[in-house]
Amino acid sequence: MAALLEMRGIVRLFGDVRANDGIDLFVHSGEILGLLGENGSGKSTLMKLLYGMLPPDAGDIRFDGAQLKGHTPFDAISAGIAMIHQHFMLIEAMTVTENILLGWPGAGQILRQKHMAAHIRDMSQRFGLDLDPDAKISSLSLGRRQRVEILKAILRDAKLLILDEPTSNLAPSEVRELLDIMRRLKSEGKGIVFISHKLPEVLDVCDRVVVLRAGKLAGAAAVADVSRNDLAEMMVGRTVPMPQVEAGDQARGPQQLSVRGLKAAGLEAITFDVRAGEILGLAGVDGNGQLELAESLAGLRSIADGSVLICGQDATTTSVAERVRLGLAYLPADRSHTALVKSMTVLDNLMLRDTMRPPYGSAALLTPAAGRAEAKVLMAEYDVRAPGPESVVGRLSGGNQQKVVIARELARKPQVVVAHQATWGLDPGATRFVLDQMIALRREGAAILYISSELEEILSISDRIAVMAGGSFAGIVPNRNVDLRQIGLWMSGRAA
Amino acid sequence: MSDASNSLSPPAPLARLRLSLGRLGLGGNILIALLLSIASAALLIALAGKNPLDGFLAILAGAFGDTHQIGVALNRTTPYLLSGIGVAICFRAGIINLGAEGQIALGGAGAAAAALLVQTAPPIVAIVVTLAGGAIAGAAWSGVATILHLGRRVHEVLATLLLNFVALLLVQQLLAGPLGQFGAGFLQSPLMPRTAWLPKLAGLDAHIGIGIAVVAALAASFLIWRTPFGFALRVAGSSRLATTYAGFSLQKLTWGAMLLAGALAGLAGGVEVIGIHRRLIEGFSLGFGFKAVTVALLGALEPMAIVPAALFIGFLETGSLAMQRQIGVPSALVTVIEGLTMVYVLVAMAGRRT
Amino acid sequence: MIEFLAATIRIATPILLAGLGGILSERAGVFAVGLEGMMLVGAFAATIGTWGTDNSLVGLLIALLGGGATGLVVALVAVRYRADNMVTGLAVNIVALGLTSYLMRILASSGKPLAIHNALLPVLPIPVLSDIPGIGPLLFAHPPLTYLTVLLCIGFTLLLNRTQIGLTLRATGENPEVVYASGLNPLRIRMLAVTACGAVAGLGGAVLSMQQVGTFTDGMTSGRGYLALAALIVGRWSPWGAAAACLVFGAAEAFELRLQGFGIPVSSYVMQMVPYLIGLAVLSSLGQNARMPAAIGQPLTRDR
Repeated sequence: MAALLEMRGIVRLFGDVRANDGIDLFVHSGEILGLLGENGSGKSTLMKLLYGMLPPDAGDIRFDGAQLKGHTPFDAISAGIAMIHQHFMLIEAMTVTENILLGWPGAGQILRQKHMAAHIRDMSQRFGLDLDPDAKISSLSLGRRQRVEILKAILRDAKLLILDEPTSNLAPSEVRELLDIMRRLKSEGKGIVFISHKLPEVLDVCDRVVVLRAGKLAGAAAVADVSRNDLAEMMVGRTVPMPQVEAGDQARGPQQLSVRGLKAAGLEAITFDVRAGEILGLAGVDGNGQLELAESLAGLRSIADGSVLICGQDATTTSVAERVRLGLAYLPADRSHTALVKSMTVLDNLMLRDTMRPPYGSAALLTPAAGRAEAKVLMAEYDVRAPGPESVVGRLSGGNQQKVVIARELARKPQVVVAHQATWGLDPGATRFVLDQMIALRREGAAILYISSELEEILSISDRIAVMAGGSFAGIVPNRNVDLRQIGLWMSGRAA
Repeated sequence: MSDASNSLSPPAPLARLRLSLGRLGLGGNILIALLLSIASAALLIALAGKNPLDGFLAILAGAFGDTHQIGVALNRTTPYLLSGIGVAICFRAGIINLGAEGQIALGGAGAAAAALLVQTAPPIVAIVVTLAGGAIAGAAWSGVATILHLGRRVHEVLATLLLNFVALLLVQQLLAGPLGQFGAGFLQSPLMPRTAWLPKLAGLDAHIGIGIAVVAALAASFLIWRTPFGFALRVAGSSRLATTYAGFSLQKLTWGAMLLAGALAGLAGGVEVIGIHRRLIEGFSLGFGFKAVTVALLGALEPMAIVPAALFIGFLETGSLAMQRQIGVPSALVTVIEGLTMVYVLVAMAGRRT
Repeated sequence: MIEFLAATIRIATPILLAGLGGILSERAGVFAVGLEGMMLVGAFAATIGTWGTDNSLVGLLIALLGGGATGLVVALVAVRYRADNMVTGLAVNIVALGLTSYLMRILASSGKPLAIHNALLPVLPIPVLSDIPGIGPLLFAHPPLTYLTVLLCIGFTLLLNRTQIGLTLRATGENPEVVYASGLNPLRIRMLAVTACGAVAGLGGAVLSMQQVGTFTDGMTSGRGYLALAALIVGRWSPWGAAAACLVFGAAEAFELRLQGFGIPVSSYVMQMVPYLIGLAVLSSLGQNARMPAAIGQPLTRDR
């Protein structure tokens, strides 16, 4: 049987970076293909090329017997390709019906919303999607929104569904339901590309896997023939040694960060302490209140109830600037818009939170010469690879951008550090750099709250591990002979 | 990263052209925009059946012909420069303040009221009090817009635009009432006391307002580049999230930028009243506020670059009046050039945004 | 009373037409600050077109084209080149003001504006209905563009809510990325919407010059475009809402004219402020509840 989708020799460059470098991939009808790879391995680029969102620099795409060349998303959709993005492509202010009707040629120019709503109800029942056609998207959970996307694809007679990291924002029960829906789609003869880096899910539902690494094909196999370890090795290529902190190998100091019954929008009463010279690793599926907690601690969100003590001082209602003065450093997850001003220079970004302190300036005046000298020192110390302090930050690589953030926050010699997804999107070398910095800070006696959805990182550097689910702490344990099964249960939001 | 990938895509001729244009920087792009609007003007003059070259020569002669004309042009430049700096400060912070028009008008009214109150004061005191009255009135009006924006969440463009109309009518109402000259036949105030007249520059028909404006430009440039407040403004213009993260208060920044802009616009109104007309006249500043936006954009929101931008517009307007007298090309041409320059500069600035 | 209501409708019509155009633009995600300029060009084009061809229908067509061309300029600069919507609108308003005034003068070659006196568009009473005593003449005896305005109100409501085009337009104002992912081209949709906005607003200008004055004078729209902008926001981006807001603005102005007529000593300047003050008051009370199209004013991130 001819493959539903054949991609051969696909090449795509971004400047000097070969995001896709001669990749071959095929998918049959009634087959689920797992597309594996780390962040930046080229999975998303490959799918954007297939979907016509970017043109390839070389290579050949055939779908359902016809060649796709110079196509737009519209052509891809007409051919029968449906893409379900990680960030849902839905309009929150509109209803399920309106979202499904949007851009659907089959709906005709004059919309018959009632007729459509009835049809949606039918189809939703048939595939077990449980959707109300008149509900506004903004009122639906993330899992439900994803089903709207799937229904959209089904109604448009998609032959191939691309699911881009579909489980990353879902609760475990929703993940199970999604995998069931995928199996049902497969049995109806749809081809599916399942993009993920979660090996258990891939092994559970896929027929074959293709692994990308640094833009190249790293391996392809039937799921029956490979083990989890094989896949992990294909993805990473080499084993990156993780730094290892021995829990309790250092005398801990006083409580530097104390949180008591903290409540805010999206957070339920949270209580914990971090001592000087300690790393508290906070694990959990993204979107379970980590951002809310980090921003409440940093002063970017108002706290409804409870208290936050930084270095023994009550900081519950103090301003962002005051918390920085108390000794709090914050590495936000959103590097592009919050932690950095991409259109400004390295120097500007290094002084972003310290303009009124020497050497950058005083309350009334900036001192650019002294600031520039300091920037050069920091760039050398933190290995920021940029032509000079006047380089625009937006032009630097992700790793170098994060080094600018780290240099700024750590140069202040903070007593308390809140780091949120500090290694997101970084290559293994840059990741290692960040982790080493955290360990060095711990040695110097800082109290660190390290928030990450990468459990491996948490396990490698934490003194204690807490798990966040549903806006509160599900549990907290010392990092010694950790029961991973229990951590997993906590993450899924259930008591062990 | 890899050398091989560089050789894969040799720059096509078009890309090479764009590359070399890119090297000109924003200033270069704005110059191109300026050339484009001059070319458009030539086209329009030709459309009127006149020789564009004659038109441009008439403009040049009219603008630089003698010291009187130069003085007139400098006087025209002054309010545009002052209010343009204020607009630039707001735009830098990402606040689209289109309210200079009303702030200038009320600034004129405030200055006139202040001048009439201090009839007997000695000259320097009278001038300072008058200009302060203008600045305070302008700032008060931008303060109203700021309250609506921050307190009631009205979009700043709508608040400032609608308040412009209210301000113009308010000035008319004042002239019809307490500030008006009884029996003048049209809306104007009594003559300002002589002590409050702005002195002239030696040897020119220009008043010292242009000096005040250039000093204001220097001060604004220093503020933007050399103070934490200016730094915060620039951060706010790029990313609101980063502004809060950096510990700057968006509320305070907005207040600061809006009040400064209002005060500068009010000052422009005051200078116009005691420098040119020596009384408050209905519609004395019609269109000034929008020209402030033109010069701010033409100067790429950089106060020191707004100085030549405002001079360009000031001299252009003066020259075009002469052109209308001499060869009969309507001076409305200037308004077209000003608008087109804005359009082209917007494209030039936007084209560079990555 | 009838006279007062008739004046209200007369004043509201050009503002509403421009506001309807603005709804297309803003629902697609582009602020409609350029309405003033689009109206002005429309008023000018209608006058010149009618004068040149001696045919008011051709004049209206030219107003449509002129307004549309103005809209296209806004679209190119604000959508294609992603410049700030507001400042672009302002710039185009200035160009329109200068250009119409300049062209009026060079057409006459005497340095003074061309003197044109076109016949006003005739009142077309609807048979039977207009004979109803009282409301008949008020509701069913108007010049053609007034009827067109009502038809467009109905038409745009249906267009926005009942058609694929309207859905796509609204979606582009809410989240262009989604529109793009649905295989449609948000750039083209915004360009078309802003151009159409210009054409409709141009007709709004034509109401002034063809139905009410009979000629073109410099800057004759005198802020009506900005009032239209306020009206469509006060009316929450719906055609009927905008219509209600325009009628309120119209009533305020008509009331002022009446008062003057009776010689009641109320300052006309204060009365003229009323529409703007109403606009500001409503905007202030809407506050956070005014749910703008979510992506309004945000430039498109893709070139395609």
